[in-house]
Amino acid sequence: MVQYSYFPGCNLKTNAKGFEETAIAVSKKLNSELVEIPNWNCCGTVHTMTTDNLMKRIAPVRVLARSKNHLEDLKDTSNHVVTLCSMCNSTLKIVNEEVKENPDDLETINFQLEEDNETYSIDMEVKHFLEVLRDSIGFEQIRSNVVKPLEGLKVSPYYGCMLLHPEKAKIDDIEMPTVLEDLMESLGAEAIFSPLFKYCCGSYHIVDQEDIVAGQVEKIVEAARVRGANALAVACPLCAYNIDQQQKVIDEKTGRKDSLPVFYFSQLMALAFGESLEINHFEDHEIDPRILLEELKLL
Amino acid sequence: MSYEYIKFGQEEKDFIEKIQEISGQNIYSCYQCGKCSAGCAFSNKMDKTVNQLIHFIQMGQKEKVLKANTHWICASCLTCTIRCPREIDVAALMEAVREYILREEPEKMKIADIPKDVLNKLPNIALVGSFRKKTG
Amino acid sequence: MSKIKTITENEKEENYKVKIYIMGQVYEVPATLTIMKAMEFVGYKFTRGSGCRAGFCGACSTVYRKEGDFHIYTALACQTMVEEGMFLTQLPFVPADRPVYDINNLVASANAVLRYFPEVARCLSCNACSKVCPQDIKVMDYIQHSLQGQIDKAAEESFDCVSCGLCVIRCPAEIPQYHVAQLVRRLYGRYIMKTPSYLGERIKEIDDGIYEDGFKELFSLSKDELEEKYKNRDKETN
Repeated sequence: MVQYSYFPGCNLKTNAKGFEETAIAVSKKLNSELVEIPNWNCCGTVHTMTTDNLMKRIAPVRVLARSKNHLEDLKDTSNHVVTLCSMCNSTLKIVNEEVKENPDDLETINFQLEEDNETYSIDMEVKHFLEVLRDSIGFEQIRSNVVKPLEGLKVSPYYGCMLLHPEKAKIDDIEMPTVLEDLMESLGAEAIFSPLFKYCCGSYHIVDQEDIVAGQVEKIVEAARVRGANALAVACPLCAYNIDQQQKVIDEKTGRKDSLPVFYFSQLMALAFGESLEINHFEDHEIDPRILLEELKLL
Repeated sequence: MSYEYIKFGQEEKDFIEKIQEISGQNIYSCYQCGKCSAGCAFSNKMDKTVNQLIHFIQMGQKEKVLKANTHWICASCLTCTIRCPREIDVAALMEAVREYILREEPEKMKIADIPKDVLNKLPNIALVGSFRKKTG
Repeated sequence: MSKIKTITENEKEENYKVKIYIMGQVYEVPATLTIMKAMEFVGYKFTRGSGCRAGFCGACSTVYRKEGDFHIYTALACQTMVEEGMFLTQLPFVPADRPVYDINNLVASANAVLRYFPEVARCLSCNACSKVCPQDIKVMDYIQHSLQGQIDKAAEESFDCVSCGLCVIRCPAEIPQYHVAQLVRRLYGRYIMKTPSYLGERIKEIDDGIYEDGFKELFSLSKDELEEKYKNRDKETN
């Protein structure tokens, strides 16, 4: 069993429990274990694009330092810190690259961290769980674990911005990614291409400019729907929340009933691997995916 | 056709200098092709498009820049950054304008005004993200 | 803080005294005193900013620096001995808003914390709060646990908090940590902590009057009989 130092991110403990629990379950089946970093802190969600605000870089650097310290407790491990949330992934990757490029900045940040014995020496590599699935585990092994192929599921992968942007943090080709498509097909589902696969959902504007998010979600969902998709697959808890919850709002306003359920990619893996249903936490979804799954006789 | 004469003195130069310093970008690299605005998912919500805002910064027109809503509509999706043919980190320029404002008035978003029922259901990353972008 | 006592010649014993600065004014005080005692020794009188004098109430938070050292140090004045070259001041009160909530209408979750303290989401993980905590609590960690909805961990980590407020003063995100800690401990007590099975039984026993006869007997005794009974009570052996 390979062990990975795993950074959950705040949302996987609150709104996206189904994402975390299914990912941990399927990774075990694939002979890899995601072991949570003890006492991790929020990475800051969004990375700062300023040159001079080091304060906002302390949090992600501290995560990397704690992950490094965590490696001592792990067996058969590498210097990888694995994330599930795509926002955490991008924030950690960017800051990891930034401190490589600017050693002076790292020295200043380390000066703040040294009293806590948490200095960082650029020796970790940030990996999204999708990268682990593709590069370390491989789709062949995933396919061989499928006990219930997801036949009839026409799922449109929605990458969102942070899996692919910026150059420093991308997990796949920026303009033509295939990792989610390949994963969906290895689970027996049909992957439906949508041109809005990384059209921004409006992100944190949900707090005070909900109308912006509503407009984005409408376009994203419609683009997938007209191409025949009956579900969306995502890797970001904020995209998932925005798309799921805004569809509900649109449904209530317009009375339409053809909303697309939003799955985390790991939930679909858990379904195909025949894991127990409870770990999906489908009750947390606004658009209940169980209705579609029952129709397709996948439950 | 009418012309507007603009002032270009020390104050304007200082503003350009500060935006370049915070963002680490050379504002004069931009040749106004408009690719950033064309690809922006939020152009229709902005009162000035992204390249217009950059043009104002190039001209040191601080008032016009600060009055625009462009940088507050930007959600940092970085589509402009990866597509800029001049390799300018356009999103970093938007961030620099936000930071310029927040370093003077730290609460663009009034946290106390967010309704309690909204706080009750929002995912925590939405709050962390927006507070990091909209409060100083 | 009225009369300041001047130090007389015979009180000045070189090896015995240390030099400290209280709000910029230099004093020589006996090295065996706590900060609070030393301030009283030189003439300060506490009407606020002091309480239990036993390190529990958190009223006497003190901030100090030492000569040639850039660090900010903090302490409870009643628990910390004076040191040569301390520059110190008292923080008798820390302003922090405490919202009103009904614990019975909440759910033990991150959103319950964020509803009343949305500023928790502004935490930068700088750890300034943990560094100043005189109780050595990992303040940042419990704030992060609250943000992550791990209410049980947050309650446990913050258990030793005495609400002195030093973390609140240092926080760049302007979070009132000790009020957050109180909320998470209340959430823990109300929703997560298991009610012990014997508690209900015990309350029922008391309600049913198990002690009634004992009380009646005590009330009927004279003063001398009471004293005699007290002297002969069951004692815990050491």
